[in-house]
Amino acid sequence: MSIAPETTNYMIGGFVTFFVVFTVYITSLIVRWNNLKRDKLTLEELDKDKKA
Amino acid sequence: MNKKPKILLVLDILSLVLLAVAAYLSLNFAPMEVTMGNVQKVFYFHVANAWVGMLGFIAAGVAGIAYLRSGNSKWDIVEVAAVEISLVFFLIAILLGSIWARPAWNTWWTWEPRLTTAAITEMIYLAYFMLRNGIEDPNRRARFSAVYTLIGAVSVPITFLAIRLFRTIHPVVIGSESAQAQGGFNMSPDMKIAFFFALFTFTIIFIDVFWNRIRLGILQNKVEELKLKVME
Repeated sequence: MSIAPETTNYMIGGFVTFFVVFTVYITSLIVRWNNLKRDKLTLEELDKDKKA
Repeated sequence: MNKKPKILLVLDILSLVLLAVAAYLSLNFAPMEVTMGNVQKVFYFHVANAWVGMLGFIAAGVAGIAYLRSGNSKWDIVEVAAVEISLVFFLIAILLGSIWARPAWNTWWTWEPRLTTAAITEMIYLAYFMLRNGIEDPNRRARFSAVYTLIGAVSVPITFLAIRLFRTIHPVVIGSESAQAQGGFNMSPDMKIAFFFALFTFTIIFIDVFWNRIRLGILQNKVEELKLKVME
C-alpha cells in the first residue's frame, strides 16, 4: 500500500494565498467606494455653493 | 445609486456562505489524493478561479463589441469591471497552480504550454490598464479599450485549449479518463462534488463581485462628471 506524500503545508499555503489576495481585492473595492462617496458629497456641496 | 439593491445584498451573503461551504468540501469532505497528498485539494479552487477568470475576459470582449456597436459608455464600465475582477481571479489561479506544481512537478514554474499561455493572458490584460491610463480622451479611450479586449479575448480559448492541443505535463482532468500527465488524477465521486460545488460557488461570487464593481464604475463616472461641472 502506497503512503501519500506529506504536502499539507502547500495546501495551507494555497488556501491562505487565495484568502489573502481575495480579501485585499474586496477591501480595495470597499475603500474605493467609500472614497468616491465622500468625493461625491464634497463635489455636490461645492456645486451648490457655486450656484448660490 | 448609493443604496445597495436588496438582491445584491442577498448575493453578497450567499457568496460568503457558499465560499465557506466550498472551503469545507475541499478541505474536509473530498478525500485525500494518494499520489499528491493534501496539496491536491488546492485544485478545486485553482480550476474554479481559472474558470471565472476566463469567463470575465470573454465578458469583457462581449462588452467591447456592445460598446463598438452602440457607443454607450455603460458598456465601457462593464468592460473595465470584467477585466479588473478577472485579472484578480486569474492571478489567484496562477498562484495556486504554482503552489500545487512545487510538490507535483518539483518546480514552482515551468514554461510549458498552459502556464505560458496563462501568463501571457494575464499580461495582456495587465497591459489593458496601461493602455487606458495612456489615453486622456474618454471616448477614444473606450474605443481603443473595446478593440483591445476583442483582440485579448483570443488568448482565452488558446489558454483553455493549450493542454489539449500541445504536448504538455499539465493534467487534463475534465474529459480525460487516463491520468497520463504528471500530477494527473481521476476524480472519485466525492471529489467531483467538491469540484462542481467550487465551480458553482465561484460563478456566484463572480456575478456578485462583477455587479459590485460595475456599481463602483458608475459612481466613478458620476464623480468625474461632477468634477467637470464644478471646474467649469
